[in-house]
Amino acid sequence: MSTVNPASVGTADGAVYDRSYRPYDGPRGGRAACTMALARTTARRALGLRRSWRQKVAPFVLLGIATIPAIVNVGIGYVTRNLAVAQRIELIDYRDYVGVSSALLVFVAVTAPDALCPDRRQRVLPLIFARPLTGLDYVLAKVGALTAILFAFSFLPQVVLYVGNLLVSDDALGYLSGHLDVLWKVPVAVFFLAVFYAVVGLAIASLSSRRIVAGASLIGLVLVTSAVSGVLVGDRAEAAANTGSAAALINVLALPLALRDLVFLGHIDAESALGGVAGGGAMAVAAYLSVLAFGAGVLVYRYRWVER
Amino acid sequence: MTADLLRMEGLTKRYGGTVALDGLTAQVRPGLIGLVGANGAGKTTLFRLVLGLTQPTSGRVEVDGIDVADDPIGVRRRVGYMPEHDCLPLDQTAADVVSTFAEMGGLPVRDARQRASDVLDLVGLDEARFRSIGTFSTGMRQRAKLAQAIVGGPVVVLLDEPTAGLDPVGRDEMLDLISRLGTFGISVIMSTHLLDDVARVCDQVVMISAGSLVVAGSTEALLARTGRLLVDVGRRHPDLVGALQARGVRARSGDDVAGDHGLTHDLVEVDGDGDATVDEVLAVIADLGLPLYRLSSGSTSLDDVFLSHAERAR
Repeated sequence: MSTVNPASVGTADGAVYDRSYRPYDGPRGGRAACTMALARTTARRALGLRRSWRQKVAPFVLLGIATIPAIVNVGIGYVTRNLAVAQRIELIDYRDYVGVSSALLVFVAVTAPDALCPDRRQRVLPLIFARPLTGLDYVLAKVGALTAILFAFSFLPQVVLYVGNLLVSDDALGYLSGHLDVLWKVPVAVFFLAVFYAVVGLAIASLSSRRIVAGASLIGLVLVTSAVSGVLVGDRAEAAANTGSAAALINVLALPLALRDLVFLGHIDAESALGGVAGGGAMAVAAYLSVLAFGAGVLVYRYRWVER
Repeated sequence: MTADLLRMEGLTKRYGGTVALDGLTAQVRPGLIGLVGANGAGKTTLFRLVLGLTQPTSGRVEVDGIDVADDPIGVRRRVGYMPEHDCLPLDQTAADVVSTFAEMGGLPVRDARQRASDVLDLVGLDEARFRSIGTFSTGMRQRAKLAQAIVGGPVVVLLDEPTAGLDPVGRDEMLDLISRLGTFGISVIMSTHLLDDVARVCDQVVMISAGSLVVAGSTEALLARTGRLLVDVGRRHPDLVGALQARGVRARSGDDVAGDHGLTHDLVEVDGDGDATVDEVLAVIADLGLPLYRLSSGSTSLDDVFLSHAERAR
């Protein structure tokens, strides 16, 4: 080496690096940039990214659990690939898989409180609202972040299922062209599910500053509404089709499933608790929108005074 | 345009029947400003009004020429805020938290990371920046709070009791940091009930008591307006006060203070702080052959200023 780094010469050639404060005069975003930054950090936090491994365990284990049906289904498809088409077993189809699994409920009960409660409990709100954003921006950022991760949580297993089915089918191109409709139905149905659970989960979390209380309240709401609705509607496992009851609407956290049916089938599934109810689809949509509006109202109300 | 950093006109804030601020009118220029008042005097309320986090009952407040009521978002883009209480997410690292707050101040992600690293270095947390805030001591948390306040390159930072809960060394370092902010072109409005802190770093003072303005002005001017001299000649000399009075100087015995080697020094207070008075005092001491330990301007603390103004206002 013939060249010498001047900084390494121990004489008058030393360099001074000034790492002290410099005023910032680069580009600077406004409310939208601030809201996006808040949404990004909320999503990262909820997934446990840039936090200790303990915070990563729950979200990713739950995602794994939610993906198991897809993997099992693809595995069975692989094992039975040489059988005649009629003999093949399909455990789960795309519509069923847009479902309210226990894994999803626990995931919401873990992530929604984590998005709001620490801000309140650790008194970060005054710092956040000292930035250029309003209470509404805050709510938008939180709902957006949680919708995104819930969408991912429900959508990734679907991708595994689709790609797996594609690979184990005899005719990949035929499978693709035969299942084109799920390419838009699944994202739309999953979006309805994600935004609903984001708003309901956050609305409940906004009422408490303790994560455990908020999470338990959400699970409690699920248990109570589904039990009450189940008693009123009766046992569906034995019942005939089209014998559902409007009382199924009480089970508020199952409302996105009615929208899913509308997206996939164009009508309410006859086998479901709402099957056969006159105007059931319209009622389900109205109930869905009402709950969504109520949850959003609670959130906006809670953060109308930006601090405290 | 106005050169004032902060301008308050008849600023009043009531919470129900409680008056937190009562018709506050004052202007301050850019620089290091001390906001002084007892606990509950309305300092935190004033900060919240400046940030537009709460609306004044009446009156108005302007920051850097922007009316907070017209454009609270614009004001918050120019202001950094360090609350008094713990306010950082405990399970995230300092680097993560500070760069997130920089992004929320509107900075692009790359700039935010770079500046977070620079600012944490500046406040002395360079080695600890990848530790989670929950593991920090009180002093480190105060530094991290200061770092998030200045990371966005604000025009002015509002520091709410920045030295609260710090040990003497930590307090010293925090005050040094604050006075360095002035050299970086950041104005500081620092609330405190410790007048010593203000006297050390601030060039302007706003004193409030029970929501009302007591006095506002430059620290130097407030300290200079005392008109008294303190004379310290060691042990009390029986003739000193008499000799001074004989020369037409109004003097009296003052407080005792502890001196070196366990000796008690007896101060003499003299009215007037002009050159003529100083000459007279020096001449008398020389005549008596006394040692002169100290000859200083009477008021050495803002406490006297605060108390005398508060009394006058009553």
